[in-house]
Amino acid sequence: MSDTHASDTQWPRYMVLHQEREDKPHQHAGTVHASDAEMALLNARDVFVRRPDCVSLWVVRADLIFARTQEELALNPDWLDNIQATSDRTEAYYVFAKLTQKAQFSHIGEVEAENPPHALKMALQKYPKTQGLVWWVFPVKVVLKSTPDDIAAMFSPAATKDFRDQANFHALSVLRKLMRDQKQEAE
Amino acid sequence: MYGATVEPIEDIRTDEEKLAEFEGRIARGEKIEPGDWMPDEYRRQLIRMISQHAHSEVVGMLPEGAFITRAPNLRRKLILIAKVQDEAGHGQYLYHAAETLGATREEMLDALLSGKAKYSSIFNYPTLSWADMGAIGWLVDGAAILNQTMLAKCSYGPYARAMVRICAEENFHRRQGQDIVITLALGTPEQKAMMQDSINRWWWPTLMMFGPHDTDSPNSAVLIRWGIKTKTNDELRQTFVDQTAPELMALGLTIPDPDLYYDETNGHWHFGEINWDEFWNVVKGNGPCNAERMAARRQAHEDGLWVREAMVAYAEKHQS
Repeated sequence: MSDTHASDTQWPRYMVLHQEREDKPHQHAGTVHASDAEMALLNARDVFVRRPDCVSLWVVRADLIFARTQEELALNPDWLDNIQATSDRTEAYYVFAKLTQKAQFSHIGEVEAENPPHALKMALQKYPKTQGLVWWVFPVKVVLKSTPDDIAAMFSPAATKDFRDQANFHALSVLRKLMRDQKQEAE
Repeated sequence: MYGATVEPIEDIRTDEEKLAEFEGRIARGEKIEPGDWMPDEYRRQLIRMISQHAHSEVVGMLPEGAFITRAPNLRRKLILIAKVQDEAGHGQYLYHAAETLGATREEMLDALLSGKAKYSSIFNYPTLSWADMGAIGWLVDGAAILNQTMLAKCSYGPYARAMVRICAEENFHRRQGQDIVITLALGTPEQKAMMQDSINRWWWPTLMMFGPHDTDSPNSAVLIRWGIKTKTNDELRQTFVDQTAPELMALGLTIPDPDLYYDETNGHWHFGEINWDEFWNVVKGNGPCNAERMAARRQAHEDGLWVREAMVAYAEKHQS
């Protein structure tokens, strides 16, 4: 808006990854903007966890994610071969992939790598059977995660709000009965 | 540390080849994803639609928000708060979907606050009684769900996925609206009269929500060709009337349309002509509440400034 609103400059974008149940992988839920990772985690909770289907939430700055589509990789098959490790200073990277047209990005695993392109190369080698339409890699250490201690405050309250579930309203059965009764009366 | 030199990957196909491939993918029912090649017009139309949709969710909080303090009991109050929270969340899902096309959230917000952007004309009508919470939930959200169920199958992946999530939550909104309407319609004579008054005011603006007739809808052809829309405005409007009219009438409520009747020859409800002068007047900014809604949004943005400043100051302090 006006020049005096310096703080209105857009805040960084964070990718939100959420886990519905312990036995399911983290999946991409969407993005939030926030002044820092801590606020991003709180915003992510408000935007994406209004229904009781979350046990863990991660946020990572979108600009720290290295992404490649299958299409891009196919267009230039030499690109990966040209990536070589140059030192032995590696760190852990998370690997996410989008497996089908309909699916969200899903957590595939971890690799040790020197830099993001190298991490992608390592991921393709480590998970040869995974047909990723799009791949994401980002360092483990740049992710801010909710902890098991956060569950009670951040995720559990949604479970008591049963009125958010359409199944708890009986409008449809009331309407159907009313219409059935009226039809019978008319006949 | 992330400065690894990466050669950009070059795309050597011509625009004609890209367009043919793009249209082939849509014909096969594939989703177009961020980063995939797409015609500029496809991107432009999607940004226009998705951002308008996001603004509608955000402005849509205002008419109902006004009744949170006036809910008749604690359960209704909790439901209404939850619903308004959902609308805020839906706005966020949609701004995110538009961002994947290269629009920035700041640009979109500025367009809304400066009055440049459009949002659904329905929210420029006033909420006058508690019964309006029922009418909005059933009629307005019911109409929105028809549109959104269609968009959940659209060709752009992020928009389709946002819609799947939104539809699931909107069904709660419609059900709670039906619950209010049923309670009032089957209640005391005063309650029923209040409900009838509300239906009288919301019926026609709801039919306008589906937009101009197909013959007057300049964007429809290209939207359908590229799989963004799969049904026309008039088709969706007819489905809505077919579903809703008999249900309202079963509750003993009347619909403010003397030309409404069930046409046995085609199995559809015939309805009268919409007052398009009213529709365009509201779209152009002259509806009963346009100025009030915009003033409320701007005020909220101004009032939140100190919070945003405090958050930036906190983030900067912790960075150093």
